[in-house]
Amino acid sequence: MPAITLNRDRFCSFIGRSMTVEEMAKWLPWLGCSLEETGPDYVKIEFNPNRLDFSSYAGVARAFCGLLEWKTGLPKYDVRKGKITVNVDSTVSAVRPYILGAVVQNIEVDEDSIAELMEMQEDLHWGIGRDRRKASIGVHNLDAVEPPFTYTTGDPDTSKFVPLEKTTNMTLKEILKSHEKGTAYRHLVDWAPRYPLLIDKKGRVLSMPPIINGELTRVDSSTRNLLIDITGPDLNAVTDSMNVLVTALADMGGSIESVQIKYPNRTIVSPDLKPQQMKLRTSNANKLLGLELSETQTMQSLRKCRLDAKRLGKELLEVSIPPYRIDILHEVDLVEEIAIGYGYFNLKPTEPATVTTGRQHETEETANHVRQIMIGLGFIEVMNYILTNEVNQYEKMRKDSGKEVTLANPVSAEFSIARDDLLPSLMKNLADNRHESYPQRIFEVSDVIKITEKAETRSERKLHVAAVSAHPSANFTEIKSCTEALLVNLGLTGWKIKEARHSSFLEGRSAAIHAKRRKIGILGEIHPEVLNNFELENPASAFEINLKEAR
Amino acid sequence: MSELRKNEHKTLLILEKLGGRNPVAKIVEASGLAHAAVMRAALTLSEKKLLQIHEQKRTTITLSEEGTQHAEKGLPERRLIRALVKLGSEATVEETVKEAALERDFTTIALGWLHNKNWVTMKANVLKTSKEPPMGFDEKLLNALYKKGPILIEGLSRELKDAATVLKKRQLIRMDDRTLRRLELTDAGLEIVKRGIKPVEEISQLTPTLILSKKWQKVKLRKFDVTAPGPVVYPGKIHPVQEIIQMVREAFLEMGFTEIRGSIVQTAFWNFDALFQPQDHPAREMMDTFYLTQPKEGRLPREKFVEAVAKTHENGWTTGSRGWQYKWSPKEAKKLILRTHTTAVTIHHLAEHREPPVKVFSVDRIYRNEKLDYSHLAEFYQIEGIVMDKNVTLRDLIGTLRQFYLKLGLERVEFWPSYFPYTEPSAQATAYVPELKTWIELCGMGIFRPEVVKPFGIKHPVLAWGGGLERLIMLKLGVDDIRFLYKNDLGWIRRSPVCRQ
Repeated sequence: MPAITLNRDRFCSFIGRSMTVEEMAKWLPWLGCSLEETGPDYVKIEFNPNRLDFSSYAGVARAFCGLLEWKTGLPKYDVRKGKITVNVDSTVSAVRPYILGAVVQNIEVDEDSIAELMEMQEDLHWGIGRDRRKASIGVHNLDAVEPPFTYTTGDPDTSKFVPLEKTTNMTLKEILKSHEKGTAYRHLVDWAPRYPLLIDKKGRVLSMPPIINGELTRVDSSTRNLLIDITGPDLNAVTDSMNVLVTALADMGGSIESVQIKYPNRTIVSPDLKPQQMKLRTSNANKLLGLELSETQTMQSLRKCRLDAKRLGKELLEVSIPPYRIDILHEVDLVEEIAIGYGYFNLKPTEPATVTTGRQHETEETANHVRQIMIGLGFIEVMNYILTNEVNQYEKMRKDSGKEVTLANPVSAEFSIARDDLLPSLMKNLADNRHESYPQRIFEVSDVIKITEKAETRSERKLHVAAVSAHPSANFTEIKSCTEALLVNLGLTGWKIKEARHSSFLEGRSAAIHAKRRKIGILGEIHPEVLNNFELENPASAFEINLKEAR
Repeated sequence: MSELRKNEHKTLLILEKLGGRNPVAKIVEASGLAHAAVMRAALTLSEKKLLQIHEQKRTTITLSEEGTQHAEKGLPERRLIRALVKLGSEATVEETVKEAALERDFTTIALGWLHNKNWVTMKANVLKTSKEPPMGFDEKLLNALYKKGPILIEGLSRELKDAATVLKKRQLIRMDDRTLRRLELTDAGLEIVKRGIKPVEEISQLTPTLILSKKWQKVKLRKFDVTAPGPVVYPGKIHPVQEIIQMVREAFLEMGFTEIRGSIVQTAFWNFDALFQPQDHPAREMMDTFYLTQPKEGRLPREKFVEAVAKTHENGWTTGSRGWQYKWSPKEAKKLILRTHTTAVTIHHLAEHREPPVKVFSVDRIYRNEKLDYSHLAEFYQIEGIVMDKNVTLRDLIGTLRQFYLKLGLERVEFWPSYFPYTEPSAQATAYVPELKTWIELCGMGIFRPEVVKPFGIKHPVLAWGGGLERLIMLKLGVDDIRFLYKNDLGWIRRSPVCRQ
């Protein structure tokens, strides 16, 4: 989850009053942030990915002032009509079709706010831009360049400029090849014949979206007027990023001026910071929350969340949503705002009137019966992962790997497939416990996964039980007695134990368990080569039964 | 005076017969009893002050293989000096070794000892001596051992003892320590023997024959030392983690929830799409989710569901939502993964059980592509509970959770605003753990979004919560490395009590 560290003094300058770190830590979680850390003069919070407006001090401060009723209702954002134009060349449509712009004037930036701006950009690139794919942001020193601007494309081999952090001209191709940001994001453009460029009247390069800005328009603490460009293939994501960023800059003291974006076939005036409207039925909200708030109380709660509401009719409100609240998709999102404004701490618990009787799943019921019997036979339960590897599952067991569920992206070589029987896990347990006293008798009743074409997921999970007894005189008779005791006590009838071969067991001392004309399990003395493979010195005898087939 | 057992009686009589003071070995020989039996009898008798046990530590010296060889031929340095004298008391090393016919292995050792014992002077490879030196104590001891066999070190003179230490270092002899025990009759013991004693027949194991024949009335059952430690036995038991799973399941069952169980392998459709997670959501990336290469693609459910889900993602369909505004891909939804939450099973269950009320739960395995460390596993358990009914509310969810966690022993639980892509309103619960004096995160919760329920025709609010199990277990079991829970350390399981607190 994204995080922001709020320095107390700086935060206080945004909320316009003084407060302690403890007070900050007390109230911030009621906005839906979680406290990561508190220090002598700071609070670090994590915020949810739907609330990217919390990626700036200004954004957190707005919500904070609302919750504490210092400033409620919709924050207003004025956009002055500006004269600057961005012409959009038709060639961009093949690579990164959309651009929006904004001018921010008379903003005083210092080291702290520049750092904050950079972090905010990164959060937006991640949260909305999906790592710059859907939208990416450029912030420029407007006074270093001359309008009008053109969003166009450049030739990878001949177009050149000095990218940020460099001192010499580089071709677009060179930037992709050797600039740190070029190598990180090249996949977003390198498939196109020409790459996106934003240039000024004189043809000077402001940026190469979504890779890197030019050194020319670098923002530092002497910068007073900003040009914002946001590009991407998804106009919604571009608009959302713009709204969150520009409202924060406005709250940081900048005055916003619009830019005309001239596409070949239409003109967009950007940014558009007018509030959106959404209808809300108060009865629905009360029903979902379990509250009986009056319309006035509902409107008051919404205002605490920096929304405005006006009455349209009986139990019907029209809610105005500020442009940075890009997370509000549906009426139900407003219902949550009511709860936050009302205060989660004020929600008294009630119990649902629903009357039901509980029932355990029959598979778990079987598993518990098996546990009871196995414990009675003196076995200790182990619990292993379903994820395993071919060496343990097949090689060490003298078996050939077949069709097993296989991961595309295993986290380590140790966990690369799903097990299709339990016994190898138990052998590994014996190997891990050689220092413990013998006899060792262990069992597991758990799932294996087998591939089957007919299932919706092409696989099926099956409940198995396996047990192994290891000690100097472990033998076939012992495990056969235990197997039979289990089968009898599970109330199974009509099963037969027949001679059978199995590569993990000694020939002549292994058998198959059959029921309903199907093989449901195996038992026998573990093959000495398997014991060697697991570096075990005591003989071991074992059984495994597919409980799903046994029933 | 207490009674004497058969072996005690016999030991006492033989000791007296052999003169009242004898090594244990002699008694063993004369009585035909096992050594252990005589010692056990002697211990009891000495407790009764009828005899005394004298212990003496004895060290026996015997020749090693190499020692025997040297005893036959003389120590290598002796063989060299003899050869040197024979060569006229002055010769090169090579000549001397050749004359002595000394084995190659011993040459360096022999030269070393010649030097140590000051028997020769050596200048530029030439050895010189005045006459053959007399026999040393080491050689005397070697000879004695060779002729007489093993010798007790305690009987040797100081010089020979020193020589033994040197020979031990040269690995020519072995020393074996052993405790020699002698028994000596006390006056009380002697008196008892003289008075004439009769042993009591003692039985250690009651047998069916003794019981049926009623012979048990005539025999004496041996008294046991009830404080003596017995061999440890470990009962069969369920895994400590399983115990807590059962506790959680019982809490659900007591609250009237029905258990559900579904596939571990899921299509992305049920795991993500059905829960309104957009197809470019970061949680769906390979970095977080395990995808499969075998099998690779599953089947989508009935057309009606798929179409409604697709449209909801694209533009909100009839749910009243904006949707995510992108082109939904069925190919992406068919991909098979290991489920990242049990909610995949829940929504599938709800799609097939739309009539209220539905109160279901699961405590089951889920998967995340995580690097394993002390607080992360790639495979772990999730607790999940669902209530779907007419008119259930967020406050009902809070009330249900309070009751649930109270059953698990957590009394102070708080509910905070939170966010999950498939619930709205959402919340998270934290609990205060008095033992740790800290708050821990318990679970995420909320009411399923209309974008989740409407495509499946679910008409009533669905209260849902889900959280990890392992954190709770670590707390209960006092384990601080999560990996330990599934290490199956047999010692830990054997020695973890079934009942806690």
